[in-house]
Amino acid sequence: MLADTWYLFNKYVKISMRMPLWSLFSLIQPLLWLFIFGALFNNFATLPGFPADTYIDYFVPGVLIMTVLFGSSWAGVSLLREISAGTVDKMLVSPASRTAIVLSRVLHSAVQAVIQAFIVLVAAWLMGANTNFNPVYIFMAMFVILLLGIAFAALSNGLAIKLQREEPLVIMGNLMTLPLMFFSSAMVPEQFMPNWIHAIGSFNPIEYATSAVRAALSTTPDFHAFSIGFGVTLLFAVGTLYWAISAFKSIQD
Amino acid sequence: MITINGLNKIYTNGTKAVDQLSLQINEREILALLGPNGAGKSSTIKILTTLSGFDDGEVTVAGYDIDREPEKVRQSIGYVAQETGVDYFLTGRENLELQGHLYRMKKPEIKSRIEELGQYFEIADVLDNLVSSYSGGMRRKLDIATALIHRPKILFLDEPTLGLDTQSRQSLWKYIRKLNDELGLTILLTTHYLEEADKLSNRVAIIDKGHIKVIDKPDALKDDISGDVVSLQFQDPQNKNDIVNAMRSNDFVMDTMWEKDKLHLYVSNGATSIPRLIENCNEIKADVINVSYQRPTLDDVFIKYTGSSIDATEEGEEKWWEKWAGKGGGGMWAKKWQQANAESEDDAKVWTTEEAEEWHKNKNWSKEEAAEWNDNKQWTAEESAAWHAEQKNEAKTDTKEASGIDNPSDDKELTKEASEDWHKNKEWSQEEAAQWNQNKQWSAEESAAWHSDKDDSQSAKKKKQDSETSWPKNN
Repeated sequence: MLADTWYLFNKYVKISMRMPLWSLFSLIQPLLWLFIFGALFNNFATLPGFPADTYIDYFVPGVLIMTVLFGSSWAGVSLLREISAGTVDKMLVSPASRTAIVLSRVLHSAVQAVIQAFIVLVAAWLMGANTNFNPVYIFMAMFVILLLGIAFAALSNGLAIKLQREEPLVIMGNLMTLPLMFFSSAMVPEQFMPNWIHAIGSFNPIEYATSAVRAALSTTPDFHAFSIGFGVTLLFAVGTLYWAISAFKSIQD
Repeated sequence: MITINGLNKIYTNGTKAVDQLSLQINEREILALLGPNGAGKSSTIKILTTLSGFDDGEVTVAGYDIDREPEKVRQSIGYVAQETGVDYFLTGRENLELQGHLYRMKKPEIKSRIEELGQYFEIADVLDNLVSSYSGGMRRKLDIATALIHRPKILFLDEPTLGLDTQSRQSLWKYIRKLNDELGLTILLTTHYLEEADKLSNRVAIIDKGHIKVIDKPDALKDDISGDVVSLQFQDPQNKNDIVNAMRSNDFVMDTMWEKDKLHLYVSNGATSIPRLIENCNEIKADVINVSYQRPTLDDVFIKYTGSSIDATEEGEEKWWEKWAGKGGGGMWAKKWQQANAESEDDAKVWTTEEAEEWHKNKNWSKEEAAEWNDNKQWTAEESAAWHAEQKNEAKTDTKEASGIDNPSDDKELTKEASEDWHKNKEWSQEEAAQWNQNKQWSAEESAAWHSDKDDSQSAKKKKQDSETSWPKNN
């Protein structure tokens, strides 16, 4: 299974490498957010009780999460294309592990999301954001981002198999990402949220991933908050992956 | 090599894709599953290649039960899907390598196998190009090569030449036959091309509605139809049963099959039976509009077992204007077309004046026709005048001709009595009289008699004239 995953993962990496422009293109959106939101909400930081010196300091973990969300939530579209092109059938008639077929796809889009998040982080550093750039903490944050990427790529792949069509998949992708993001502290500190949004947020996996990344990248890292966020994100990733794999195995019936 | 027993497959939407299908495929044979789209060909192949589950039945492939040992089945088969199963953004070699790895082959083994397949399919030169630059035929060959990387014993080809041009198709047939001849592969292919099934396969299985209708060698199937196929096309056949009964009354008619308005008859000898069949149709007043006759083809076999031509199931049957009219659009044009159609059938041609004139000139009229025409004709004044003038001239030439023949003085020595008799009876025209006067040598008595006659008539004439002219003056 691991060997199959590796070979298939390699295939997707090769395909991505052959269209580097496209991969760069998907970076534009998070970079724009970093720039626009940073300027737009700059005065937020002057409000009493704001947990950071500037808005951009606060927003960096949030924009990293957004990069993952918008990068991984469309992973299922290419699965549908592969199914209609016949390449999925080709894999399925071979003895290749079915788990490996899903895992390689999910890992590929998660790794892509991590690379993009890393580039966004470098951009934030260039813009003078005051976050923790210690490699150990960056690694910790990136690990959470990888898990969140896996979770959303798995969700999208599983939905692709269940929905069978691109249009509803795109609608579901939108429905998943935007509200979940606003129900988290990615953009607005929880002190500033209405209570009911905050209450919903405590069931939101993105909220946990955000707090974990924020805890790691904070100038004063909070291990307790990190381990809670990390644990929940890990559970979320494992759960969605399992669901996607079983959905994929059901194709054959 | 493959044994299928009572296979059933019902999709979740209720479609029965495979219905009690049983089939036996021998080692080293090429078997073609022939059927229209939606007949259950692809569903069957998908079950055999472990891509799809099934509801009921027993299937063994290469000696392994498909339900219990799918892994072993997968190792022994190669599958080429309808869609090209190769990745466009990889090179040919990368596609082959990946497939080799997925079949758990060792690296050096993969490498030597790629060389082999590259030469076999004559794609060695392009192996390092991206597949997106390949032609359709090349892509198909690479597709088959990837399916063969692990040296399977059985190859499944689902519509292998679909969408290929004739040349690529024939080249592909060559390879498929070679794979069977040289490598001893058992091949199961699906197709809806009759020619493909006919030329390529050892045996053909005709499949319709998820069920195998018949299975045999292509030639045996054609021989089984025995004799020829006469096809009678009828003008709107209402009483199909009557027609069939009339045809069946001949003992040389072995089988009949309706295909829309066409009746296919399987007869022992086509050429001699056609006149008798037409006679039968006339007796029951069935309108035959077309007769064709041919040696049996695989399509006839197909029609015999499924009741429709394989091509008919592919294309729409309605004429375009019927379709259009049926959808409520363009009614005017639809009507025009239908009208034009009906009129040409009734032989009611609309003539242009030029055409009519031309036709009249060329026609040789019988007297009756001419008379009838004259009666019916409404003459305009000009036409009438022109006709009368013409008629006069004709009459003149007629009398001249007649006098030429009849005038006895020209070439006959007349007896005096005969001559006098003739003169008395003849009604002279003025010209004739004048001419005669000039030529006549008058005797004195004759002259005197004439002059006295003349005077009388002249004085009488004068009196009459005077009274006529004076009369209005008195008024």
